[in-house]
Amino acid sequence: MVRFGIEFVPSEPYWKTTFYAIQAEKRGFDYLWITDHFNNRNVYVTLTTAALHTEKIKLGPGVTNPYLINPVITAQAIASLNEIATGRVILGIGAGDKTTLKSTGVEMHKPLTAVKESVEIVRKMMVGKSVTFEGNVFQTSNAKFFFKPATEIPIYVGAQGPKMLALAGRIGDGVLINAGHPKDVDYAVNRVKKGIQQAGKRLTDVDIAAYTSFSVHKDMKKAAQAAVPVVAYVVAGSPDVVLQRHGVDEEKAEKLSGALKGGKWGEAFGLVSSRMIEAFSVSGTPDMCIDRVAELLKSGISQFVVGSPIGPNVRKAIDLISDRIIPHFEK
Amino acid sequence: MDYGRIIEMVPTGKRETLSTKLMDLILKSKNADKMPSSLARTLLHQWQQGPLANEIGLTALLEAAVILESEKIMDFLEEKLQLPDVAKAIKTVE
Repeated sequence: MVRFGIEFVPSEPYWKTTFYAIQAEKRGFDYLWITDHFNNRNVYVTLTTAALHTEKIKLGPGVTNPYLINPVITAQAIASLNEIATGRVILGIGAGDKTTLKSTGVEMHKPLTAVKESVEIVRKMMVGKSVTFEGNVFQTSNAKFFFKPATEIPIYVGAQGPKMLALAGRIGDGVLINAGHPKDVDYAVNRVKKGIQQAGKRLTDVDIAAYTSFSVHKDMKKAAQAAVPVVAYVVAGSPDVVLQRHGVDEEKAEKLSGALKGGKWGEAFGLVSSRMIEAFSVSGTPDMCIDRVAELLKSGISQFVVGSPIGPNVRKAIDLISDRIIPHFEK
Repeated sequence: MDYGRIIEMVPTGKRETLSTKLMDLILKSKNADKMPSSLARTLLHQWQQGPLANEIGLTALLEAAVILESEKIMDFLEEKLQLPDVAKAIKTVE
């Protein structure tokens, strides 16, 4: 049976994110993912407050990156969080996004190696080992906690490109696929499966999650409208091959990207077409969203993550998902 | 008058509607950053324990709504819920 996750971007005061986290747990979500960008509220502070106000929901960063947060600090944060919410903590880790890294003066150097080495370091730290590691990106020398981590934690690898997807299948306990269209998810799951096979694991050993931009409302137009800003950013960050896969006009996408960079939000959002919304988000009425989730399930995902914006009214959207969409897949 | 006493003035049949409206007002407010941290903790604690339509939950919600969206809550109480006395009582809270 598919499990449902929900993602929040801690761009607003902590009490709002925590309010929605509590609601998500009450309304049957299994996973809570909090994004990690330096320009929003801190991911671990947000997760800590969510952990203190919930009992069952699994929770973790979705995703952190090893460039801004050294893997030993990630291990420390996760181990500490796991004392508050023992057995509920999960870790999502990926290469990060180039734009955000660039604004901090950090280069995305050898992303595949960086993610692979980070996962290895975090795993070793979490079993209380003294870690001496001579990697190509990271080195540690007798790094060890002065406390005993409560439990090991599942590590999910965030992936988009073909090599990262295969790596995620090889080394991850789970994979977070940043896509919501069947064409993209189908392609991604096949790459992940190759990695799983290479590692000699069973497909059921790895939780494959579609991490989507999602918007639901009883009125289809309102749902789509709410998705526009997120879709604009997704289009601007998508490589040509992905735009071509969905028949998105590359010239228009380039204009959109330029408008975003120039801070011309009205112009940028005005360039978002219905085709773009269809390609880069799961949005519409509950029935439309059910159809899309059902399609994605055929690709082999085991978790569906409802990501930003969730809906024009987040509180009502969470209730709508809980009342209409989740029960459909529990049958 | 305090917010707890004011909530006692709200008829039981209107508390669910008031609770939903107050939640949406504070969650959609552009003044969300003005929420006092101690009030936020009370609100989250109550929300974790159960629905916010009970007296303690409503008291916290009302106080938050008055801080974040004073005009909108007054209009709602007077015009939609037809509770002008409640709106008047809020103005007496120091």
